[in-house]
Amino acid sequence: MENSITDEKIIADLLPQKFGKAGKIWVGVLTVICLIGLFAYYRQLRYGLIVTAMRDYVSWGIYISNFVFFVAISLVGSLITAIFRLAGVKWGAPLTRIAEIIAVAAIIFASLIIIVDMGSPERFYYLFTHGRIQSPIIWDVIVITTYFFISILLLYYPLLPDIKILLRFKQKSGNGLHKFYNYIGSFWQGTPAQFKLSEKAINILCITIIPVAFTIHTVTSWLFATTYRPGWDSTNFGAYFIAGAFLVGAGAVVVAMYVFRKAYHLEKYITESHFEKMGRVVVLLSLLYLYFNMNEFLTPFFKMKKSEEGYLNGLFSGDFSVVFWFAILIGIIIPVIILLFRQGRKPLPMFIVGIMVIVGAWFKRYLIVTPTLLNPFLPMHDVPASYHHYFPSWEEWAITMGSLAGTLLIITILARIFPIIPIQETLTEQHEKAI
Amino acid sequence: MKRLYKNFSALLALALVFVGYNTFAQATPKGDLSIAINYFVDNNTVPSLLVRVKTKANGRFQPVEGVTVNLFLDKDSAGTAIGRVTTNRKGEASIFIPVSVKKQWATSVKHTFLATFKGDKKYEEGKADLTVARAKIVLTTADKTITATVLELKDTTWTPVKGVELKIAIKRLGGDLPVNETPTFTTDSTGQASADFKRLGMPGGKSGNLILIAKVEDNELYGNLSVEKTVNWGIKFTPVNTFNNRTLFATRDKAPIWLQLISYSILFAVWGVLVFLVFNLIKIRKIGGQV
Repeated sequence: MENSITDEKIIADLLPQKFGKAGKIWVGVLTVICLIGLFAYYRQLRYGLIVTAMRDYVSWGIYISNFVFFVAISLVGSLITAIFRLAGVKWGAPLTRIAEIIAVAAIIFASLIIIVDMGSPERFYYLFTHGRIQSPIIWDVIVITTYFFISILLLYYPLLPDIKILLRFKQKSGNGLHKFYNYIGSFWQGTPAQFKLSEKAINILCITIIPVAFTIHTVTSWLFATTYRPGWDSTNFGAYFIAGAFLVGAGAVVVAMYVFRKAYHLEKYITESHFEKMGRVVVLLSLLYLYFNMNEFLTPFFKMKKSEEGYLNGLFSGDFSVVFWFAILIGIIIPVIILLFRQGRKPLPMFIVGIMVIVGAWFKRYLIVTPTLLNPFLPMHDVPASYHHYFPSWEEWAITMGSLAGTLLIITILARIFPIIPIQETLTEQHEKAI
Repeated sequence: MKRLYKNFSALLALALVFVGYNTFAQATPKGDLSIAINYFVDNNTVPSLLVRVKTKANGRFQPVEGVTVNLFLDKDSAGTAIGRVTTNRKGEASIFIPVSVKKQWATSVKHTFLATFKGDKKYEEGKADLTVARAKIVLTTADKTITATVLELKDTTWTPVKGVELKIAIKRLGGDLPVNETPTFTTDSTGQASADFKRLGMPGGKSGNLILIAKVEDNELYGNLSVEKTVNWGIKFTPVNTFNNRTLFATRDKAPIWLQLISYSILFAVWGVLVFLVFNLIKIRKIGGQV
């Protein structure tokens, strides 16, 4: 009886909740930003890529930076869900759905932003009809599609037991959502045979997603590293990208943990202990990323090859130095210092650190793309003055902000539809503890 | 009276300003053109003329585009008109000697070419002339020795000419390569200049052919003469084009087999797992339906 009271309490706590006033304002603001982004995209379709600030030299700008950022953040699904699960890290269970929702939202916008970067969207179709299997771009298209599909399955399979619970609360969820739950999961009866098949499938997915996740970001790094340009001509790029991706993904989970905990009053389920442990994970990942950054910049700095001099000086002390040092200090070093202290691993400092990591990571992607293109091996000669600089046009900013808002909107909507913490898993854990 | 004087003075001043302005406006001087005619005979075929038009601007000679020049043979008359040419961006225009002046051409062993420009809004009229004697080069080869003979038409016979400077070279894509270390040769009393071919090992295309060229350049009497001869003195060179092989840089149908095997194997393996998981879902659905 006591158990069932606890069960009902857990279910009541974890059921998706309708948007309050703040939630509605949040959704409204995100929608407006998305609409502005859509208008800017309409202008880009109408007038062509000339509305952007990208020209002959900087042909990859803020869109590709944003794409790399989205791909990086999507890797969190494999870290929290798969690696933690396979490693037997039990405390990560309440965070799995948050991680999977972030992964799905990010990978959707990674795909969309790359189509935006192509200019005419029909070029995406040509990638399939004219693409070469030798090109890393095709590998990226294949891997992103695969990763998206795996992420959807990894979100869907563990949801099935929760949907059965959600179907019991028709009044709370409303007619529309009830029909939706009915459509996607009414077949789940919770029989041992179904549980067995589902467990098996989740294990297979967890094993499959890790190499695919590593591939997705390694291939993204190869888009750069397979070209001979200052800053990109590196054998370190795959590992460097993966380390950075895990860091930004963990930062995103920390921010989401804090926001959902506050908004849905989930203090009993996402505890200070979770922040403490995630803090340690973020420190580890920050140090790992710092190590790869040192590899990436220290050796070229030591050699200071003539052909890379302009690029490196631009980063360390030139036009990009403010952004570079901001990304290194705010995105990596200061988070490590804060999180080394126990007080720094409390929810609010962790939330601030998470924001710092994400913002630093976004600028870091910008630094990976643009400075290299502005410093080609053959000096720019006899070109318009605008080719020597790159600052995104308002359309680029609007589309980028729209895509970021779109990601947050998808996360918000998924959190409104599905329980942000797996209900059935929490119940099982409670029962195990009681025994 | 004083007032009338004042008004008259003002009118006079105004008139002077206008007159002065118009005087200056009309006084923009026309440019002078420098016209030069060059005579060419390649491979002893139909001679051609190249007209170069320049003008002096800012202390330097600059080519003039769009200048139309009339060319005549020996005299400025309709019957001896070679043709009308207009200069290009480089200030150059060329024309072959037409069949219409063949009769006039045959009358003499020396000819004068006349170029006239009638003048336009920008440039004063101009003219130029060039007198050349009819000559040719005969190129012979034997045992890696090249002999070029310069002959001038005197009356009706081709006579060897002594002391003509010429080049003997191999014609290459980027320019003419001398056949040995001597840059130029001079004909002897027999009109001949000989050169030893020392460029052994020179790539000569699929059949090993090289094109030899003998040239007289900007000669005061004969203009520009050149003659070519193909010899089989080069090394046979068959270019190896790897573009059509299976490489990472080839077209999609030329992707390396190993790459296709690896990538498609991974693709089918991963998507095989995903398809299996979808069937697994269908299985779970069926079990649910049976309960």
